[in-house]
Amino acid sequence: MSAPTTPAARADLDRVLIVAGAWALALVWLLPLAYAVWTAIHPAAFETRFAPLAPLTLENFVRAWNAAPFARYFVNTILLVTMVLTAQLILCSLAAFAFARFEFPGKNTLFALVLVQLMVMPDILLVRNYTTMGSLGLIDTILAIGLPYFASGFAIFLLRQTFKTVPRELDEAARVEGCSWLGLLWRVYVPLARPTILAFGLVSISHHWNNFIWPLIITSSVETRPLTVGLSIFATSDSGTEWSIITAATLITSGPLLIGFLLFQRQFVQSFMRAGIK
Amino acid sequence: MKHVLKSFLASTAAVAAMSQAAWAVDLEFYFPVAVGGSAAETIEELTEGYMAENPDVNIEAIYTGSYADTTTRAITAARGGNPPQLAILLSVDMFTMIDEDIVLPWDDFLTEEEMDEWIGGFYPAFMRNSQTGGQTWGIPFQRSTPVLYWNKEAFAEAGLDPETPPATWEEMVEFAEALTLRDDSGDVTQWGVRIPSSGFPSWLFTGLVASAGLDGLANDAGTEVYFDAPEVVEALEYLVSLANEHEVMEPGILDWGATPRAFMDGNAAMVWTTTGNLTNIRTNAPFDFGVGMLPENERPGAPTGGGNFYLFDGSSDEQLQAAVNFVKWATAPDQAADWSIATGYVAPRPDTWETERMQTYAEEVPGALVAREQLAYAVPELSTFEGPRVTQIINDAIAAAIVGDKTPAEALADAQEAADAILAAYR
Repeated sequence: MSAPTTPAARADLDRVLIVAGAWALALVWLLPLAYAVWTAIHPAAFETRFAPLAPLTLENFVRAWNAAPFARYFVNTILLVTMVLTAQLILCSLAAFAFARFEFPGKNTLFALVLVQLMVMPDILLVRNYTTMGSLGLIDTILAIGLPYFASGFAIFLLRQTFKTVPRELDEAARVEGCSWLGLLWRVYVPLARPTILAFGLVSISHHWNNFIWPLIITSSVETRPLTVGLSIFATSDSGTEWSIITAATLITSGPLLIGFLLFQRQFVQSFMRAGIK
Repeated sequence: MKHVLKSFLASTAAVAAMSQAAWAVDLEFYFPVAVGGSAAETIEELTEGYMAENPDVNIEAIYTGSYADTTTRAITAARGGNPPQLAILLSVDMFTMIDEDIVLPWDDFLTEEEMDEWIGGFYPAFMRNSQTGGQTWGIPFQRSTPVLYWNKEAFAEAGLDPETPPATWEEMVEFAEALTLRDDSGDVTQWGVRIPSSGFPSWLFTGLVASAGLDGLANDAGTEVYFDAPEVVEALEYLVSLANEHEVMEPGILDWGATPRAFMDGNAAMVWTTTGNLTNIRTNAPFDFGVGMLPENERPGAPTGGGNFYLFDGSSDEQLQAAVNFVKWATAPDQAADWSIATGYVAPRPDTWETERMQTYAEEVPGALVAREQLAYAVPELSTFEGPRVTQIINDAIAAAIVGDKTPAEALADAQEAADAILAAYR
């Protein structure tokens, strides 16, 4: 009745299904990007019409670039994500190390508080954060955009879990050799946590690259505002949506991230795999 | 001599002190952009023009995203103790802002004469969403109203008079039937009419409700809604019938943002959308088009929409008075004409339409006049306490009826119940 299925044939079938599934997902992921590229390099009349011979144009990019001071916004965004990531890595690896290796009173309560931070939506804290930045005199500065994110609960949690998997023997061997606590963190724990750090770095950069509402609220001037605020000029709702300009602007602003990801893709994927397996 | 010199020095010092004090008036002004990139530049030109004429005032115009983003920022900043003096927010946010207790009525800063001449000089239709409880909370600035755009070429091909838009609900169905074209396999190549139902469906729907004979979806105090009134049910039944019974409108939820494109691509021969689209369609439509009032049923009718200036609590009287003076200047005929021509928003005062520039513009773009004429029949846009929640309720009801989850009457009865539960606290 049914064809005899050898294990080899079944493995082949599995392989075909997996590859087909991967291709299907990749296509679904690629479609919006392909549409963005298509509309961005053609005149507006071809937004919703597919004509292979449609005239090509770069005018959408020129118009998008000129609609806002994007050069300055790029500088601001790069300053912002670098500052946030550096501060997060320093503060959070120190905190995670303490949670992973030291015994001190109230440790569990403190760690629970850090975990609570993961549950709180940042949007709820808008007013509180605004007031804090106001009393620090930081309104309309790049520092104010990043400051609330420096002590990231997610990073502390992720690094603590990774540090906990470091074998005690390595730790003790280093201590016997006369390594200080900071040296231990720097020479033993951080190198072993590199995949986790890389994975977290990617998440942090893409999150702060794309963050919109908090930077919009806390900043007012061209000198401090990030790319997303410039991009929002195109997301108008009263009049029709100008897809060709929007997609051109989106490609401009997300371009560096996309290129960066493609260049370092292998490392990213590997680090995610390792971080995930552990 | 010594005495004279002394008094001279004293008076110079006094003048210097005075001018320094006058220089100190700094204003912050939040504005959203809802009609394309150049509106931001126009606002900045406007504030710079004012500062050039009034060197004692320094206005920082801060772009703050969409209307919703601007509201979020204004509330955050006000609660955080750093409110702006001025912001442009949706006129329908009036009750929300009063409820938040962060805005001031304009009346306290105006003389009786100014109240009569300035406040009294706006079209009454715009003031309906700007005043409540005998006080003025908003000054109309970027205001709009929906109109009907029709494709004259498609009208001619369908054997209709290209110069005459449908005047009544029945005519709109008749015209749309003639305009709906199908290919051999029965697929529609051109729809007769398109009334978008995403984005802010309650706004266009208010146009149908008004022409069904009801004066808006809520009372002026913002505490009652009339979702289950027979006129509202009739309006929703008509809207649903366009796609279901007459098959002249694309079925399902129709996207707001894609509507001008659908019109310009010939996908829909008549569309309902805001006057704010006039400049966009005029520049990009490859065919001749007309702009008409929304068709009438019991009576002609349309809602108003758009944004007002709000005055925020928490600044010195000197700053607030300077803010009021700036808004008076910005709504004066010349400035309002510049703003209206640059953006397509409806000039909110009759005196603006009397300026030479506005008259020339109206001759070039007759569509602009349609909006003004329609104001005579305009009703307020839905505005209540807990505005966003109540608006979401009616939007969900409209969507439920369009996709066929509920009949119009059922959907509206449910919506009435849900809205009453929210508004009971404010009665």
